[in-house]
Amino acid sequence: MKEIIKLGLILFIITACASAVLGFTYEITKGPIEEQVQLAKKEAMNQTLPQADTFQSIDVDLPEDSTILEVNAGYKGDNLEGFAVKVSPKGFGGAVEMMVGISKDGVIQGVRILSHAETPGLGANAENPSFSSQYEGKSGQLVVTKTAPTEDNEIQAITGATITSQAVTDGVNEVIELLNHLLDADEVTFDFN
Amino acid sequence: MNKLIERLKNGIIEENPIFVQVIGMCPTLAVTTGAKNGLGMGLATTAVLVGSNLFISLLRKIIPSKIRIPAYIVIIASLVTMVDLSLQAFIPDLHAQLGLFIPLIVVNCLILARAEAYASKNNILSSILDGLGMGLGFAIALTVLGMVRELLGAGTIFGAQIMPSSYKPALVMILAPGAFFTLGILMAILNHIKNKTVKNDMEG
Repeated sequence: MKEIIKLGLILFIITACASAVLGFTYEITKGPIEEQVQLAKKEAMNQTLPQADTFQSIDVDLPEDSTILEVNAGYKGDNLEGFAVKVSPKGFGGAVEMMVGISKDGVIQGVRILSHAETPGLGANAENPSFSSQYEGKSGQLVVTKTAPTEDNEIQAITGATITSQAVTDGVNEVIELLNHLLDADEVTFDFN
Repeated sequence: MNKLIERLKNGIIEENPIFVQVIGMCPTLAVTTGAKNGLGMGLATTAVLVGSNLFISLLRKIIPSKIRIPAYIVIIASLVTMVDLSLQAFIPDLHAQLGLFIPLIVVNCLILARAEAYASKNNILSSILDGLGMGLGFAIALTVLGMVRELLGAGTIFGAQIMPSSYKPALVMILAPGAFFTLGILMAILNHIKNKTVKNDMEG
């Protein structure tokens, strides 16, 4: 009995020390991590919608099964240029978080993967520009193909990672659909503020 | 200095974690799809291994043997979380490269195995050197595996095109079966060389 208490106490001290150190590390790193996340987001918006210089987050009513996380309207001066939309479709190893830039006339300007848990060497290749640049200049609903694309709306899948390719394409398609929805809802002004 | 060479040689050649001890197979098979991934995982593991060996050796007289396993796991998991958070906050570029592998390190039995077999019985300096040797042995093995698989499966090494463009990559080498093929063949070659040396020694 005495031994159990002694062992329990020692283990308690070890775990208490570990939690104290972890809590301390968390407190120190919380600020810088938040900064990095904001920085990465700003950079992703700038890259996916290069023609806009300021971004403003807007509220949009989304259907329940939507994977869209946030919608940012991108302006150059006072003119609305398009939207940078954060979307997280389900990939092979979990959610694939990405930023999709779309101009107000429905043309994809850029796609950038922010975070993912896809297989290194396969699905993780979705980050490579050779894959994601395929989306630039595309509009309408896109489909994935395993061979070299022949149609305008076809995206060539990454070798050995059809599920990831499909996920990214689903995300882009959802953004295209969202834009149509936004256009229907507020045809003329785009005044979301 | 002798100790350093002895531990490095032990970790890299004599008791190589992958080719001789065959431990830590889960990350080995999963991440060696390319040379860069193998090297990244290997180096991240080395860093954690050195740290965990240091702390466990430091606390070896305090931790009663009956609760040593949970104590080791708490130490290792805390260390990995700290490395993860610090990289994310202060070296985001490196974290973007290695972030995928860091949570995998906690479940790498190589780290627990070294804690149990070496760090809990030896002094601090030897334990650090052991962590370094074993970690480098792990990193080298992973990089070699990654290089072979990347070369055959994608025609590149560290992302640079090696094979002529007429070479059609054997995709299977990058997929899971390729990991087993490569590991098995490399182990067979190494064992063959080893057996030959032993034989020569006996005859000579």
